[in-house]
Amino acid sequence: MMTTANTLTLSTLETRKLKRTGYVPAFLGGGLLAAMVPVLNMAVRREIYVSQSGSPFHILMDANWQLMAQLNIFLLVCGACILYHTEYADNGIQRAETLPMKASGLFLGKLCILFCSCLLPLCLETFSLLACCTRYFPKTPGLGAVMLKGMAFELALLLPTAAAMLFLSSLCRNMWMCLGTGVILVFLTSMLRSGNLVLAAVPFAAPYRMLHQFTAGQAGRLLLLSMGEVALFCIIEWIYTKLRRCFQ
Amino acid sequence: MKSNLTIPYSSQTGSMEIASRADCPKRQFSPLGLLSLFGVELLKIRRSKIFWILLIPAVMMWLPSALNADVNFVIDAYDISPDYNFFIQGYMGMAWFMLPATLVICNVLLHQTESAHRGLLKCLSLPVSTAKMCLAKFLVTVLLTAVQLFFSIASYYGAAALASRLYKYDFLLPPAYVCRSAALIYLAALPMAAVFWMVSVLIRTPVFSVGLGLASIVPSVLMLNTKFWCWYPMDYPFYMLMTEYGRIAPEVYDANVQLFPLLPVSIGVTLLCLAIACLRYSHEEKL
Amino acid sequence: MNSTNIIETENLTKSYGDFTAVSHLNLHIRKGSVYGFLGPNGAGKSTTMKMFLGLTSPTSGRFQIDGKSYPRNRTAILKDIGSFIEAPSFYGNLTGEENLEIIRRILGLPKTAVADALELVGLTQYKKRLTKKYSLGMKQRLGLAGALIGHPPILILDEPTNGLDPVGIHEIRTLVRSLPEKYDCTVLVSSHLLPEVELMADDIGILNHGRLLFEGTLAELESSARSAGLPTYNLEETFLAMIDADNQKGGGRI
Repeated sequence: MMTTANTLTLSTLETRKLKRTGYVPAFLGGGLLAAMVPVLNMAVRREIYVSQSGSPFHILMDANWQLMAQLNIFLLVCGACILYHTEYADNGIQRAETLPMKASGLFLGKLCILFCSCLLPLCLETFSLLACCTRYFPKTPGLGAVMLKGMAFELALLLPTAAAMLFLSSLCRNMWMCLGTGVILVFLTSMLRSGNLVLAAVPFAAPYRMLHQFTAGQAGRLLLLSMGEVALFCIIEWIYTKLRRCFQ
Repeated sequence: MKSNLTIPYSSQTGSMEIASRADCPKRQFSPLGLLSLFGVELLKIRRSKIFWILLIPAVMMWLPSALNADVNFVIDAYDISPDYNFFIQGYMGMAWFMLPATLVICNVLLHQTESAHRGLLKCLSLPVSTAKMCLAKFLVTVLLTAVQLFFSIASYYGAAALASRLYKYDFLLPPAYVCRSAALIYLAALPMAAVFWMVSVLIRTPVFSVGLGLASIVPSVLMLNTKFWCWYPMDYPFYMLMTEYGRIAPEVYDANVQLFPLLPVSIGVTLLCLAIACLRYSHEEKL
Repeated sequence: MNSTNIIETENLTKSYGDFTAVSHLNLHIRKGSVYGFLGPNGAGKSTTMKMFLGLTSPTSGRFQIDGKSYPRNRTAILKDIGSFIEAPSFYGNLTGEENLEIIRRILGLPKTAVADALELVGLTQYKKRLTKKYSLGMKQRLGLAGALIGHPPILILDEPTNGLDPVGIHEIRTLVRSLPEKYDCTVLVSSHLLPEVELMADDIGILNHGRLLFEGTLAELESSARSAGLPTYNLEETFLAMIDADNQKGGGRI
């Protein structure tokens, strides 16, 4: 309980550091851009999709999610870079490290912000998909529940990528270095789209997966794997902060 | 409001001996040409680790292709030989994603080199045209793109040789064909480079310029399927590769490059972007 | 423009929104002199110097440097000026020598100019070291070397002794003082410390809240202060009293 309260306090402090960094507009702009993908696709090529049978949400996800997920991943890459760039740019991290607080708290606070930030683009994307479903497809019973479940699944699959990218940002003092590495990882993992469940859960590759591609059991295991990855990156960061203090 | 303490300057016809203007040692100066300035800009990126940004993606992109080269033996609807398939599939990733993403990152790096210790401020106080400085910097990005494509050719041959050894099949294509295709992609990437350069000049917050750059890459394949593709420079390299694909497998894509309206539009976009970049370069430092 | 003055300004003003950084400034800087530009932090010294270098445009008013005006003669003005503004500007990934090489190439100077400039500021033994590893004082010296390279006829130095140790301050002060005689140049040097300017300058200009409170020689400063009833036993006291009197009179921001 105490740890949760501390993390929340840290997150509040961390949000103050993000003032005038362009973090919120970046997520808003990125989310809007991703939300535009299904709208534009339907405007240009609606006949391909409306003739398909099945759940409209699944049709739209199959048609657009690869692009939307990639935009979401790029947002996380940029967001994580900003979160640590504010620390490293003017050596603010030195100040933070001399304050009476746990070094790993900084990471947890930032991670909490990044997790919450994922909600903004996902909500915009959900609205956009919902609008496309109701505008172009006949009324489908239970659509809302399917959408909510599907998008909650996407949120959970974004979390390991957020944790991995944030860990990478904490490693690199130069923003362009973590940015470059992040972009290379986005590209390389985009090649891992097929394969087994473990490959499907790899950070940067996981957000491309969709709930309807898996059975309930597989989806559950994928979620567990994702949560495990988040915990793993937190532990690695904790070890890294300890080691960094020893070698500084 | 004037202060009472201000003294009229008439009292300053000083007793100090002042040398005549003619005696002053004059610095011989002639404005630096674009190429010389390009040399100066290259000197600025020494030890900036930009080399690794160009090399690592090129190698990392081809390595998985070499290891999974057996997928090229799967016969699909198009009668395309595994060696050509290996080349085209590999370069698709390059033209669609890696080349534009590297350009975006390199632009951020070039700006950071200038802004990190305010090096640009020093250059702005020197007798050099800011527009020329901007163009010289753009030429650096053009050179870096060429270097990356050179790396990609070298990596392709390395990967093709490895795949040939692994799968006992000759994946190596003639150098003339590979270099010609890479040169076409390179030429097609120049308008895109100009767009990214303009974006990085106009948007000085790195995250916005990078974000916009990366976000513009993602829908390029979608855009290529619309009739507006020639107005979207991020599509040009991929389009060139697809026409190349069309030469090998005519069922996939039209092999003829539609020079009109592509050529006038691309030249126009390039010139417009460079003009805007030159006009706005270093605007923030001058506020 | 008076022929003895190499820099003259006429009602030079710079505003940022409703904030006036420099207000109706009329400066007269004699050719071959060291002009001390004095004022507390934020008085508008750096903004004025930036305007001379074309780094920021005046809101109103104009200035002439050696008979040339900005923006028409930007390149012609800049080729005659060596400058050091606010804090050292350099490329951290390059060595001290390479940083000066960039300036040398742009100015079209002979190759020996780099070694000369490094020697002048005492950085020769550190020329191969990366500038991001330089100490604050070394960065300051590098900035000065960048200004002095090629012996320009006009030098604009913004607080050049910031970050230097007492020995360094003395060296730079002696160097600045000797420049007009050695290289027949004019020096505009800013500082917020009167004792420092006192030891270097022939003429001084005192700026507060963007307005020129005084311009003249040190002797003239003393006599005008006396007539205004300000303390004159110590020039530092005179300066502080002058700034205080201006602040009391409501000479705040316009």
